[in-house]
Amino acid sequence: MANKGERAASVYKDTLLAGLWRENPVFRLLLGMCPTLAVTAAVKPALTMGCCVIFVLVCSNIVVSLMRNLLRPHLRILMFTLTISTFVTIADLFLKAFQPEMSAALGPYVPLIIVNCIIICRAEACASKNGLAVSVIDAVGMGLGFTITLCALAGVRELLSTGKLFEAQVMPGWFVPWAAMSMPVGAFVTLGLMLGLVNTITGKKD
Amino acid sequence: MDKVKYFFQQSWLLIVASFFFGLLIAVANAAWQDNILQNEENKFNDLVREMIPDANASEIVLEDVEVESRKGKKKLTSVRKVVSAEGRRIGWAFMCEGSGFADKIRLVIAADSEFEKFFGFKVLSSYETPGFGSKIAEDDPESNEDLVDEFKDAPVGEFVLVKTGRRREDESQPNDGLIIAISGATVSSDAVVKIFNAYADEVKDKLREKGHIGNGE
Repeated sequence: MANKGERAASVYKDTLLAGLWRENPVFRLLLGMCPTLAVTAAVKPALTMGCCVIFVLVCSNIVVSLMRNLLRPHLRILMFTLTISTFVTIADLFLKAFQPEMSAALGPYVPLIIVNCIIICRAEACASKNGLAVSVIDAVGMGLGFTITLCALAGVRELLSTGKLFEAQVMPGWFVPWAAMSMPVGAFVTLGLMLGLVNTITGKKD
Repeated sequence: MDKVKYFFQQSWLLIVASFFFGLLIAVANAAWQDNILQNEENKFNDLVREMIPDANASEIVLEDVEVESRKGKKKLTSVRKVVSAEGRRIGWAFMCEGSGFADKIRLVIAADSEFEKFFGFKVLSSYETPGFGSKIAEDDPESNEDLVDEFKDAPVGEFVLVKTGRRREDESQPNDGLIIAISGATVSSDAVVKIFNAYADEVKDKLREKGHIGNGE
């Protein structure tokens, strides 16, 4: 009995940590590149996007997991899209109602979560094959992994492009802001360097 | 009969889920609609103040003005009277929308008190391509690609979009009604011109018809 409990705890821990590092959606699976490049000019929008993705991931994984035994194979992608788009619409309405400035700053990227590969990938790879607990933990792990990555990327870009973090001056007075870091080129360069760093740490060669 | 039965066997979950999710969205929308409308109202007033610095308040004088686009689509708008701190009428402002490159573009347009010249426009919402179509919202007189500036002080009437041309060097030069498109954002620029052309005359006619302008007030 104890072994069963320990095994379950180990599975939950593995599932949670997979999203954070081993199967990090951005650094290891290279999924969700559109928001990763587009909304990481500053930490606030990146954090908001991350929270929206966590909400949509958790809700869609719960629904998909609950109806996994009822899914017809040829209709499953349609069902996933229907589920995901519902929660994305709710997240979008919530931002418009309570965070109008952030909603305007993120523009089309919140509705575009509907086509974010991470969410449909987790629905297909995890939620449609596992129980509720594993699906929720997987969603939290993947969502947190995505959010932390986005914030790390945004932190570097915001710091170098403005010298500030969360609108507070961080860099010393002599620092000259690198305007290019707030542009698409800054997103590509920072992501490339971070991917290189992660590959060096993990010893990945190809 | 068998076909109908097969259809429902295959798709009942999809049908049930569609109803359930639709209901969920409707509930969320109903719960937050007031906040969303209030935010839009606040944003509208802020944008009007940016275009008409003396603006103190605005009030709706015409509701549900029907505007027909060139494609025959009918849209409704409300026209607001903009007043100064002294209560003097200093302009008119209204929301309008049209199809852009990616999705609907929603604008706030402001005109002077007799609706003869535009103060310009501001983008209320747009999902145009960042870096290209999104430039329609940029208001930087120093920039060579300032679409907002093209409409400042422009006489109310038909606008024509041109791809190349010479921009006004400063605001003292008269506006000829020729709008120079932003390079890389021709569709979005065209959308803005079409919105102006669809709404301006219609709104002006309605204001005149109801006696709000052209009465020597």
